Amino acid sequence: MTLLSIDELSLDLHDGTRLLHGVSLEIAAGETVGLVGESGSGKSLTARSVLGLLPPRAATAGSIRVDGREVLGASRRDLLALRRTSASMVFQDPRTSINPARTIGDHLTESLRVCGGWSARDATRRAVELMESVRLPRPDEHLRQYPHELSGGMLQRVMIAGALTGSPRLLICDEPTAALDVTTQAGIVSVLLEQRETRGMGVLFITHDLNLAAAMCDRVVVLSGGRVEERGLAREVFGNPQAAYTKRLVAATPTLAGAPGGDSVGPAVVVERIQGGSDATGRAGSVAGPPGDRRAEAAPVPPQALLDIRGLSKTYRRSGREAVTAVDDVSLRVERGGALGVVGESGSGKSTLARILVGLEAADAGEVVVDGRARTSLPASRAARLAHARSVQMVFQDPYLSLDPRLSVGRAIEDALHLHSHATSRDARARVLRLLDQVGLEERHADARPRTLSGGQRQRVAIARALAIEPDLLVLDEATSALDVSVQAQVLDLVASIRRHRGLTVLFISHDLAVVRRVCEDTVVMHRGRIVEGGSTAAILAAPQHPYTRRLIESVPRPGWDPAAAGAPLEPAGRGQGV
Amino acid sequence: MSALRRVLGKLGGLLLTLFLASLLVFFSRFLVPGDPVSFLLRGRKPSPEAVAAVNAQYGLDLPPWQQYLSWIGGVLHGDFGRSLQYRQDVGAVIGERMPVTLGLVVMAGLMIAIVGLAAGAIAALNRGRVLDRSILIGLTALGAIPSFVGAIVLIAVFAVQLGWFPSFGSGDGGIDTLYHLVLPSTALALVFVVLVGKVTRSSMVDQLGREHVEVATSRGLRRGTVIRRHVFRNSIGPILTVSGLLVAGLLVASSIVESAFGLAGVGSLLVQSVSRLDFPVVQAIVLLIVFAFVAVNAVIDILEPVIDPRAAAGGGAR
Repeated sequence: MTLLSIDELSLDLHDGTRLLHGVSLEIAAGETVGLVGESGSGKSLTARSVLGLLPPRAATAGSIRVDGREVLGASRRDLLALRRTSASMVFQDPRTSINPARTIGDHLTESLRVCGGWSARDATRRAVELMESVRLPRPDEHLRQYPHELSGGMLQRVMIAGALTGSPRLLICDEPTAALDVTTQAGIVSVLLEQRETRGMGVLFITHDLNLAAAMCDRVVVLSGGRVEERGLAREVFGNPQAAYTKRLVAATPTLAGAPGGDSVGPAVVVERIQGGSDATGRAGSVAGPPGDRRAEAAPVPPQALLDIRGLSKTYRRSGREAVTAVDDVSLRVERGGALGVVGESGSGKSTLARILVGLEAADAGEVVVDGRARTSLPASRAARLAHARSVQMVFQDPYLSLDPRLSVGRAIEDALHLHSHATSRDARARVLRLLDQVGLEERHADARPRTLSGGQRQRVAIARALAIEPDLLVLDEATSALDVSVQAQVLDLVASIRRHRGLTVLFISHDLAVVRRVCEDTVVMHRGRIVEGGSTAAILAAPQHPYTRRLIESVPRPGWDPAAAGAPLEPAGRGQGV
Repeated sequence: MSALRRVLGKLGGLLLTLFLASLLVFFSRFLVPGDPVSFLLRGRKPSPEAVAAVNAQYGLDLPPWQQYLSWIGGVLHGDFGRSLQYRQDVGAVIGERMPVTLGLVVMAGLMIAIVGLAAGAIAALNRGRVLDRSILIGLTALGAIPSFVGAIVLIAVFAVQLGWFPSFGSGDGGIDTLYHLVLPSTALALVFVVLVGKVTRSSMVDQLGREHVEVATSRGLRRGTVIRRHVFRNSIGPILTVSGLLVAGLLVASSIVESAFGLAGVGSLLVQSVSRLDFPVVQAIVLLIVFAFVAVNAVIDILEPVIDPRAAAGGGAR
């Protein structure tokens, strides 16, 4: 019997904007249906509508039935009953989804105590059971803890436990792992699959990640602009997409297997292995003395290294807390025109490394040499800051935050030009247009304000602004993480083409192995501030040496039917240790 | 353990603030023109001997730092010296008037809390609608009225025209005093309601947009429960901080209101003592106001980890 049936659902905002154009889908008990699409496709809106969480004053048409009962137009009492017992939802970011002022125990027992009339004792016992079922390590202790004391992965388990309190028949997961690291994601996915098996729930799984959808779902519905583009068995939709949109989406999605999408360009990059090297474990106490000296004896330095980092360390000390070593004796080299990927999860120190490179942060030890000039210390004077900026430029993660909303695009780039050269206004204008052309934007965009541009266009502007200064080194710090896959593909192509035409040297920092694979010939893997492995990207993916790298690669979701993929398909149980 | 250290640190800061304030309060007197002795002698042409005698009696012939030491020593024992105008102990003079001022400030504080919180909450829950805008405009208009104007308008309407409340004096104690304090408290509260109301509104609007509120709604909690347990609970921090800062303004403004309503309170005593150069009384009252302000804010600081558990861990208050 169908558990959820959405029939021709359309939704208009009060100003008349139509966001959903007749979406239909069905879920049977025990089945997982993926709702796949990019931002603005209406997938979250569809999911929230199932629980009656509509935007204020929105008008709906069509029907949503959960367990045979109509949701649209239901009374407030019926809606509350639906949310308490029939369907519940796991949200995207567990760090913002649990009230920070209340304990985990309160979160888990709240609906039972306040709505169900349970005694505190029964509710607590139930909460502990649920925490055990989602494999939280110390349920009794967690009851009294506050959200900020738990990691993101643990919090998402708490969220899942919370969603299961009412024993719902339908579980809606809205990008439940998008805010988590890939190794954490694997644990969450296995908990979700396990709970679906044991409870026979139907699951509506929303994601932008095709690989994850392929790994999780029986059937998928592809959504774009509030319309269903394609539907069917996950394997058929992704293996043999029919709709033009799905084809583009599948082509744009970076994968770990198959031919690399990036163009092979430029000379090979020499990745400097650390002293005592890739086996970072056997390196205790070997920090004394400048590592650079020893390396110079060990191997002749290739003359063209554009970026040379030796023994870089950075420790954050805050009074009353344990010191955190964010970057720990990191050494690497990139040749002129090369592209090096730095891969790591949150807390690996990759962003601190980037901040030291662009001179936003001072290193405690080690040196940074860019194009033969030392760039280790924080630039003290205005002239030093300008010189530093001329040699290293950075593109930041979020293009919505890194551009001044009041400056037109042309003005933002022109300001950078004026700062670094004495170009006349007419020259500057001409160069702005040339730069915009290079990043695939047009003349009309020069007068646009950032808010009128899409995320991808904004990131192009950010890249154009960085290129305006003609830096020796371009650092891209998670520069495509905030973008949709199709836009990400465009930006990655852009980076590849700029490298080809200008011989630009790129340091590409990302959490996503598949993206790095598309851009960089060589990669280093960072873990807890150290480089644990380095070498050609293809070699690392094919034969990872360090256990952490292996875990990282295994955690990337793969379709269960794809034997070419290196890791085993995700299984319902067993691999839940990665909290 | 760290909680205890926190509290001790706050208390240390409080004592330091009070010490610095006492210096400022005491020595500012030497910057003010006017000689208390000539006031004491009521304009008579004094003989030099008489002046010297008065100076010696009140210790005014000593060097300033010695005067400070003997004053602060007395203060630590609860002795604020003798009032020049009443020729009584300052403690007795102030103590006599304290109940009226306390009653006034507490009643005004309750009004501010109830009306401000209610107006802010109603505005936040109706954000963007006509009701929200009316409340905001109303609050702003009230906030723009100075206390003395508000006092006159209230007297004109409720005491003279309608005759509902008395316009003068503090009554005979008990219920009668409360009754007498209704209009003064209202006049005092008017200005401050706007601050509490606006902070409540913006703090709640901020929380209403948070994801955890949507999560709570999605779990089938009633709207009232969501508002109470999640929205309002998390809005308290900023509201308390602003309320603590209001205390000083409330105490100072009470002097204006007390004068307007003819209340024999500490505020009107302050005004009167300043004009009569009664330094011991002025110093004692100012020191009391500083103490009340610093103490209230120290308590709020110490409460912070209870209100926002992340503050205890040193995290950001978001």
